[in-house]
Amino acid sequence: MKNRLKVLRAMRDWSQQDLAERLGVSRQSVNAVETGRYDPSLPLAFRIADVFSLPIEEIFERDE
Amino acid sequence: MAGGNPALRRYRMRSIAFSIAYLASIALATWIIPDDAPADLLTVALAILPGLAVIGWIWAMGRVLVELDDEYLRMLDVRRMMVATGITLALTSVWGILELYSPQIPRMPVFFVFPMWCLGLAVGSLYNKLTLGDAGTCT
Repeated sequence: MKNRLKVLRAMRDWSQQDLAERLGVSRQSVNAVETGRYDPSLPLAFRIADVFSLPIEEIFERDE
Repeated sequence: MAGGNPALRRYRMRSIAFSIAYLASIALATWIIPDDAPADLLTVALAILPGLAVIGWIWAMGRVLVELDDEYLRMLDVRRMMVATGITLALTSVWGILELYSPQIPRMPVFFVFPMWCLGLAVGSLYNKLTLGDAGTCT
């Protein structure tokens, strides 16, 4: 699954650690999701959407 | 965050406590039970004490999976445990069959199964590192 986490973080000038603290997860988790090595569960995807105040489909998109 | 995770901190404390209990009970059993001890109530009770500490250790490892609220770290640990379980089942099954058909094959003490599983965790960490870039937590 592709995602725009890196871009969205950069727009807010957040580090991976900043985002991890907002989500209540480890920096490794943010890194794994951001680099596409791990697809988050639906609850975590909703938390990510809440943090960025965006709908999930504007953050994640399926692989073609 | 991973190192400071409350679930991992609790695991470390439990792990240290059970390790101390294990070493103390092994020392106690070794000190009290003579080499040629009969299988009486005292011998069995003392010999079971280290086993209870091992059960506590296993409980702590299962508990950390329940308490860990970071799903990615939890997945890494589950993968390590799956690898360790697979290796342990494979080695003990194959060795058991060898023992069954060849009396010259040395008997594997059952005591070694848990340490073997723990070594399997290290292989699981390596597998995680090579496939996902992260080894997992310190469990």
